[in-house]
Amino acid sequence: MCASLSCSHRPEPGREPHVTIMKATGYDQDLFAKVRRILAEHRVQAKGKRVVLKPNLVEFDAAAPINTHPLLVHAAVEAFRALEASEVRIAEGPGHRRGTLDLADAAGYFSTIPKFEDLFIDLNLDEVSKVRLQGRASHLRSLYLPNTVLGCDLVVSMPKLKTHHWVGVTLSMKNFFGTVPGAVYGWPKNILHWAGINECILELHALFPRTFAIVDGIEGMEGNGPIQGTKKFAGVIVAGSDLPAVDATCCRIMGLDPEKITYLREAADRGQTQEAYVRQIGEPIRAAATRFAVLPQFRFLYLSGA
Amino acid sequence: MGFPSPPTVESIVAAQNADGGWGYVAGGRSWTEPTVYALLTQSACGRDAPSIARGTRWLLSLQREDGGWPPCAGVDESTWVTALVVLLLVTERQEAAASRAVRWLYRQNGRESSFLYRLRMRLLGAEVVPVGGKGWPWYPETAAWVSPTAVSILALERYNRRRPSPELTKRIESGRQYLLSRMCSDGGWNHGASRALGYEAGSYPETTGMALLALRGVEASRLNKSYAAAERHLRACRTAQGIGWLQLGLQAHSRKGVAAGTTSPVCHTLVDACVWLLASSGPVGINVFLG
Repeated sequence: MCASLSCSHRPEPGREPHVTIMKATGYDQDLFAKVRRILAEHRVQAKGKRVVLKPNLVEFDAAAPINTHPLLVHAAVEAFRALEASEVRIAEGPGHRRGTLDLADAAGYFSTIPKFEDLFIDLNLDEVSKVRLQGRASHLRSLYLPNTVLGCDLVVSMPKLKTHHWVGVTLSMKNFFGTVPGAVYGWPKNILHWAGINECILELHALFPRTFAIVDGIEGMEGNGPIQGTKKFAGVIVAGSDLPAVDATCCRIMGLDPEKITYLREAADRGQTQEAYVRQIGEPIRAAATRFAVLPQFRFLYLSGA
Repeated sequence: MGFPSPPTVESIVAAQNADGGWGYVAGGRSWTEPTVYALLTQSACGRDAPSIARGTRWLLSLQREDGGWPPCAGVDESTWVTALVVLLLVTERQEAAASRAVRWLYRQNGRESSFLYRLRMRLLGAEVVPVGGKGWPWYPETAAWVSPTAVSILALERYNRRRPSPELTKRIESGRQYLLSRMCSDGGWNHGASRALGYEAGSYPETTGMALLALRGVEASRLNKSYAAAERHLRACRTAQGIGWLQLGLQAHSRKGVAAGTTSPVCHTLVDACVWLLASSGPVGINVFLG
């Protein structure tokens, strides 16, 4: 891991992470083709694999831009089925509310995704196994984690593009907090806060090497995210298999400097937070950039000129 | 996957695993929490003696050396579920196991209430939420939150009624002060963060009901806003646990709220079904918490 802002690591030539920025004007049927195109562009191999889609479900509010939109998740389900995945599951473990399926219902998942309940696993109540942590970023030595995510071949992080009142932004890496089981650690999963939010984001990122990210940046949240902020239309889907690179790109779209986000800076072991080292697919950042409002204590995160 | 709507005690008994415990969903591995709820529900709504005996045996086999309970077999830590088990052990008159569990529970505090933590925060210039009593955490060495505090108060109060002690009385009162200090500005409760970074947060139905249940006996004038919040939530709430806990909470204060729907909500988990059944069984359901 990089230890400082002056990280000198860079990807080997020809092995730069690829990140897609795709414009999307709304939550409509076009999303199905768009997600298929993203997976094709990234040559995602899903045939015969068990895929878990991990959206961000937080609150009982379909109108506010808190939860990953169900239509984007549905599009991902169909796209991975088209790639002949052996199994596609949707799985989430919200951090504050216990009624996960009730929450998913209120967020429109039941009405949008056919047979949603058959596809869904509540990660808060899933069977667990003890896992030794690899990253050594925090003082935690192990965590109990759900067998559904430990046993799959690919975890697809599907967060909402949002600001976060503790760590600046919540994107595909922070989204893994939802894999920590509430039935063991509670609601909220406060053990992660005491061990350090940035540190635990890094620990969880290190635990899941086979990942892909599809960020719902069509309608994001600015200001006092991840729950009490306001809607911000950004009109993009951001995707890729290198999560720090995807999240760094999202930051730039939001007008924020990813190298000032502690966990991103630390996770960028191949320089992925640096724009020059990321191969952009689709729209350039400047075409998608739209400055997100942040809480006063995070104004230092703005990119110069943003 | 779910339970019948409305759920029945028979459907709860039928979901019992071969090992004697219950899973969160029918056919799922046994966990402590749903097992306790299944047994409490049977106590309130009709007992199936062999089922209760098998369930209690399974639970007792899980008690740890420190007196507490893990959330399930294979997790090497005692957690908040110990409070739930105490509620049951008092009902089932398992005195020895209960007193060891109570000793464990008595020792648990929210980490944010420790002197060292608060001193450190002050020295760092961080925002320190005023301590209004000591609550209970979900998991050891973490902060206190509303749900585990409410359940711990109910458990210790029940035990204290059978075997009174000034220390327990004091600890229960401290827990109540914690709950009162975490009330949201709308009068209800959320998970326990009523205010963060200067921003007010709204309450949730289920935690509002749980807190009210644990605050039985608190002067009504201090809770008028909370009753209004609970009744407001109840008119809008569509979830089994939300409606169930609100009804239990209001019943504990001799109030009867009116739920909006005429049909019972979907019970996705066994805990949903049990909370719904406990609330529907009126005073008898209340008694497994307060009797």
